[in-house]
Parts: sequence; structure tokens; C-alpha cells
Amino acid sequence: MQTHIVSLLVEDRPGVLTRMSGMFTMRGINITSLTVSPCEKKGLSRMTVAIKGTESEVEKVRKQLSNLIEVVKVVDLRAAEAIICDLCLLKVHTKDSEVRLEVMQLAQSYGAKIMDAALDSVILELTEEPMKIDRFVDLMQHFGVKQLFRTGVTAIGRGAGGG
Amino acid sequence: MSREKLSGAEIVIEELKDEGVEVAFGIPGGVLLDLYDVIYKQDAIRHILMRHEQCAAHAADGYARVSGRTGVCIATSGPGATNLVTGLANASMDSVPVVALTGQVVTSAIGTNAFQEASTFTITMPVTKHNFLVKRTEDLPKVIHNAFHIASTGRKGVVLVDLPKDVLADVAKVNLHPKETFAGYKPNIKPNKVQTKKTAETLATAERPLILAGGGVISSNATEELRSLAELLGAGVVTTLMGKGAIPEDHPLCLGMAGMHGHVYANRAINECDALLALGTRFSDRLTAWQLDQFAPDATMIHVDIDTAEINKNIQVDIPIVGDVKLALDDILKWLEKHKKLGGKSVWMQRIKEMHSACDECIKDVKRAGTSLSDMFVKELNRILDDDAVITTEVGQCQMFAAHYYMTKRPRRFITSGGLGTMGFGFPAAIGAQVGAPDNKVVDIAGDGSFLMTCQDLATCVENDIPVVVCILDNRYLGMVRQWQELFFDKKYSHTGLGLTPDFVKLAEAFGCYAERVEKPEGLKDVLGNAFKSGKPAVIDLIVGKDDKILPMIPPGGGIMGMIGTERCKHI
Ligand SMILES: Cc1cc2nc3c(=O)[nH]c(=O)nc-3n(C[C@H](O)[C@H](O)[C@H](O)COP(=O)(O)OP(=O)(O)OC[C@H]3O[C@@H](n4cnc5c(N)ncnc54)[C@H](O)[C@@H]3O)c2cc1C
Ligand SMILES: Cc1ncc(C[n+]2csc(CCOP(=O)(O)OP(=O)(O)O)c2C)c(N)n1
Repeated sequence: MQTHIVSLLVEDRPGVLTRMSGMFTMRGINITSLTVSPCEKKGLSRMTVAIKGTESEVEKVRKQLSNLIEVVKVVDLRAAEAIICDLCLLKVHTKDSEVRLEVMQLAQSYGAKIMDAALDSVILELTEEPMKIDRFVDLMQHFGVKQLFRTGVTAIGRGAGGG
Repeated sequence: MSREKLSGAEIVIEELKDEGVEVAFGIPGGVLLDLYDVIYKQDAIRHILMRHEQCAAHAADGYARVSGRTGVCIATSGPGATNLVTGLANASMDSVPVVALTGQVVTSAIGTNAFQEASTFTITMPVTKHNFLVKRTEDLPKVIHNAFHIASTGRKGVVLVDLPKDVLADVAKVNLHPKETFAGYKPNIKPNKVQTKKTAETLATAERPLILAGGGVISSNATEELRSLAELLGAGVVTTLMGKGAIPEDHPLCLGMAGMHGHVYANRAINECDALLALGTRFSDRLTAWQLDQFAPDATMIHVDIDTAEINKNIQVDIPIVGDVKLALDDILKWLEKHKKLGGKSVWMQRIKEMHSACDECIKDVKRAGTSLSDMFVKELNRILDDDAVITTEVGQCQMFAAHYYMTKRPRRFITSGGLGTMGFGFPAAIGAQVGAPDNKVVDIAGDGSFLMTCQDLATCVENDIPVVVCILDNRYLGMVRQWQELFFDKKYSHTGLGLTPDFVKLAEAFGCYAERVEKPEGLKDVLGNAFKSGKPAVIDLIVGKDDKILPMIPPGGGIMGMIGTERCKHI
């Protein structure tokens, strides 16, 4: 079982998301993350779905997704050939100024931005590939993460490839 | 086309006419008053008032299967739409082109638990190929046109259009009959030439080629091409339940239906062949059974299917061809005719003919030792009815007796609920079939349990002069389930006895039908003759034994070589 990123170009209409997610539900596949946004083409949206599954499971859903009338294109993006990003917002507990300094330094070394600072907490933002975010979050857990928000991955194929 | 000012209801009817719709099966309701008002004012489209929406959907389904056209059904919002669901799921599973129109509460009330509101759009999403909730009257022309386009092209299927009351009532200026389609809908029709050539070469050099014909062969009207290819190659042909009629079942190369309730020799041929050309079939578990190592173990597997998602779904294949069966067969035939490199297949042909005769003998021998009354009645029907008669079936033993012993000679003449296995389908499907084929005899081979699920539509038949004949194999049991209890659950007959079943003759007479009871197979011919002569819808109650079993069969978990109950089969 491996994480696959499926990129879909879909018509921007009510019900598309339900139809698409229904396809995963019917096959018993859990969606790890999902992003939907407008794209360069008018009337179309781009969905990026991260799912865990075997190669053959993913291949079967991919084919069924492409059968959906509102799905214009489906691409299974391979990690090596794509740029994959996730954005996280973290509220980290900083019990004193010493800890705050340490948190801020570590954040800087990861390239995270400090969005807000209060006496007992800081809010950090990091946009990176998901694994790096995982490591960053793990590190911050050490100080106490009060809240964590991640957008889920979005991805784009390198060169001529991709959805 | 110039812009016209029309109400939504008028637009719907204008578009239906443009799609060539000649009949719709439906039941009106509050939110559909505008639509029915327009239906009242025209006569291009016949509307048949059904007595249950499930039957409206099944009738549209039966009509579509018989005629090859798209069936249309109509239901009101809320309960009307939810009653349709079984029928839509049924047609979807068997890839039958049906367009369903449902009424919906006014757009401003959607989502408020308004009177008779149900979220038809979300409820029917999983049982349709596509569905629409129309929010603006001016969208109607494009939506209706695309509903028919999507239902009737590619892998055919069900499209539902949900029509809010205000969308039907409002007036808009529109261009009728648009031809614009959706960017995301591009069915794969044309097969790849490299693949069809590879297939032709494989078949030419194979020693034991076999064709497995599925529902897709009938759906794409490729039965002539199938027969030509089989004869050219000297290949055997087996079918799925949905493929019944793709080749005349008395053709010497045809071995009949394969699978769980198929013919022993159809299954054996699958096991013995060295090249299997599967045409328009989705390899359901009822066909392949569960020991896949017995399913064509030595064969080069070739699969032609219009739906990419079916390729390598249940069975791994060597040569996949995505596209229309008819076009693929055309390509294969052309290549073979041009290259004429056919290997010697005489030994195999001899074997096929032997296997064909073994089953043929059994089907024609009405009084074969060990034969049950149920077998005999169907074998009799087989002798009485002409090749153009349409058989529909309910679900259960009755269906499998029909599949096993009724020899279908023409496509679109055996109509059954294959994928969903919907009890209560056969009778309303017969209504649709009779409307689609008014000059043919239409006979529903029914079980008593199934018939009770939809028999209220006898009223529809009487009212509209639809003279279908229902032949009930009356065993006073939910026979198929009872058979499983007998064979696999220690004869513990939990809730399969129907107890005091109604007097079907009186029941039918109460509706105004012709009705008679028959206890001996020899008596069937005269009674059926009388029924047809009466010109009325008819119910014939055939008394059969509760212990009648449909055998041979593959027990659950078994493989195609592991049929049980083959004692009565001829051994070769
Ligand atoms: C009680 C019971 C017992 C049953 N026992 C058996 C049994 O013993 N044997 C058996 O076979 N079935 C049996 N069935 C039926 C079974 O459940 C399936 O419905 C059936 O096997 C499906 O047949 P199919 O794959 O040919 O057809 P369908 O389900 O109709 O599938 C058609 C296939 O063809 C493709 N197709 C459609 N149009 C085209 C085209 N133009 N070109 C190319 N491809 C196309 C579709 O994409 C699809 O894959 C039984 C059902 C019941 C209820
Ligand atoms: C709507 C529905 N409910 C339940 C079933 C499960 N089922 C399959 S066959 C069968 C028995 C059918 O009985 P009957 O119509 O009398 O036919 P028989 O098997 O006796 O010929 C049942 C209950 C079904 N297929 N469809």
C-alpha cells in the first residue's frame, strides 16, 4: 500500500465532488486528503486526491473516475515526476521565552514562516512536500502542538506531463 | 433553430419528440402537473399509466431491451422517485439505455424537507450512469439531449433528469434541439487495429478457439458478425445469461449459457479452449465461478469491451481491446478473410458438435428420466412458441429453468434481470416488451414469489390492451432460496414457504385477465393457445413441485468444472 496522488480535471458543477467521492466509497478506498480549486481553464476545477492503495486498486478507480461524465481528465501522478506540496498551519505552545526562541529558530531552519506570536504560543506556516511537513510537525510535537491544520496535497506534473 | 418561448414542460416534450421517443411509462403527481398538462395536449408520445413506479422503470427497461431504443419512465418527486430506484438500479446493472424523468419540489424549497421532497439527485447517483438536477428552464434543451446521448452511447445506461416544479412551469426563450455535448464524455468506440490484428492472428492459429458472447454483443447489434466469425473459424460459442440470443441456441457451434447455472458443456468448453475471445462481457462471478484456475487455464485471453474499467477488472487478459464489439468483429473478420491463414480445427469442431448434441438432446427430450415438472413446462414452451416470441423472466429457479431449457434463437428475445436479480422484474418488463414489439408474443416465465411483487400492473395491461402472458411456475415457495437451503443448509427451510398463496386464476380474473391453471405439461399447449386467442392479458398458473431443482449448478465457492447434479446430463 502506497500513497497515490490522483489529479482530476473536472467540470465545476454541484454534485461533482459527491459523485467523485462516491466512487472511492463504493470501492472502500479511504481518501487521505483532497483539494479542490479553480484552474487555468474556465468552467473547470482541479481536484487533487491522495489515496492509499495497491497499484491495481488505484488503476481500477482511475478508470472508473475517467468514466464519470464531468471528469475531463484523470492522471495518476507519480511522486518522482511531480512537484507535490502541502501547507500546514501550526499553533505551538511556548511556555517561556526560551522555548519561544528555540521554536522560532527551528521554524526558520525548516523555512517555516512565523505568522503570529503571542506570549504563550506562536503560529507557524510551512509549505513543503508532505514528508518534510510530517517531520516538522513531529519536531514541534515536542513543545506541544495546540492546533494543526493541513490543506492536503496539491501536485503538478513536471515538464510536459501531468494533469 | 430559431429561439422559441416555451414553458419548461413544453421544452421537455419537444426534446423527447426530437429524440424519437414514442412511448413513456409513468405516474403523475403534484410537481408534474405542468408536464402532464403538456402530455395531455399532444399525441406524438404515447403515455402509459403504470400502477407502480418500479414497474414504470422496468417497463421502460423491457421496452429498451426489446427494441434497442432508449426507454423512458416518469415519476413524481419523493415517493415516486424512490419507488423508481430499484428499476433504475436494475437497468444500470444490465447496461440498458433508460432515461428517467422525475419531478422535484420548487428550487427555492429544495433542502427544506418540503412536502414530498427526496434528494433524488443524490439517491440515484450510484444507480445511474449520470444524473442531472436542472435548476434553470433554459438549461433543459441541452440537458434532455445529453440525457439521451449519454444513455444510448458507449456503455449504455440510465440517465435521470430531476425537474423542479418551477423549472417545468417557467417560460424561457431557448434554442431547441442543441447538439452540444459534454467535454468529459467521450466513449471509446473504435478498437485499436494492432490489437484486432493480434486477435485475428491468435484465433487463426489457435487449435481450440472459443467465443464467449456477453450482453455487449446484443447491445451493439453484432450478432451477425459473431455468427460469421464463429462459422469462419469453426469456433465454439458460449454465452453469458445476458448474451442469450447472441447466436441461435440451436446452432451446432453454440453450447449455450456458461456459468453457475449454465450447461455442463459450455463450462467444459471454457476449460478446454486454447483461445477465448470474450465479447462484451464483464466476467461476473455467476459466470466465472470462484476457482479461477479452472476458467480457461490454457487459453490466450482476449477481451473486447467498450468500457476500459472492465478490462482486467475480474479476469486478467492477454489481449485487451477497448471498443465496440461490432467494430472489433468487423476488423477481425476483414483480417481473417484477407489472410485466410486458418489452422486445422477439425478435431475441435467435432468435439464442439458432440458437446452441442449432448445438451440439445436433453433440452428436446421433454420426458427425460429424472426431469421435474418445472423443466417440462419450460421445455414445452420451447416447443410451442415461435422464434420471434419474447421471453421475459422473473428471478429465481423460474429464471434459471428458462435460461437453461428455453432455446433463444434471436437477439433481444430473452429478457431477464441479470446483474441485480430483481424479483418482480419480468412482468412489468413484459409490458414494456409488448409495447416495443406489438406483433410478437410476449411470455413472462414467472415464479409465484416474484409475480406477487409487481402483479398490480395487471391493471395496466387490461386498461391498455397489452396482452402479455404470465406463466407462473407455481411451487408455493421462494424456490431458489429453498433449493439452497435444501442443498447447503441442511433442509432448514427458514421463511421460504409462501403458505397460502393466492388463487392466481381468481386474482387474474379479478383484474379482467384471461386465466387458467395447468397441472400437466401436455395441457400447456391448448391453454396457451386459448390465452393468445383471447387477445387479453393472461395468467397461466402452472402447478410444479416444491422439490423441483434447477440442476446442474456450481455450488458456492466451486469452479466451472465442479458442477453438481450432473447425473441427468449425457456423459461424453
Ligand atoms: C439467479 C441468477 C443466476 C445467474 N446465473 C448465471 C449463470 O449461470 N451464468 C451467467 O453468465 N450469468 C448468470 N447470471 C447473470 C449474472 O449475474 C450477470 O448478469 C451476467 O453474467 C452478466 O453478463 P454479461 O457480462 O455478458 O453482460 P452485462 O452485465 O450486460 O455486461 C455487458 C458488458 O459488455 C460491455 N459492453 C456493452 N456494450 C458494448 C459494446 N457495444 N461493445 C463492447 N462492449 C460492450 C459492457 O461494458 C459490459 O462489460 C445469473 C443471475 C441470476 C439472477
Ligand atoms: C427483490 C428481491 N428480493 C429477494 C431476492 C432474493 N431471492 C432470489 S430468488 C428468490 C426466490 C424467488 O421465488 P419465486 O419468484 O417464487 O421463484 P422460484 O425460485 O420459486 O422459481 C429470492 C427471495 C431477490 N432476488 N429479489
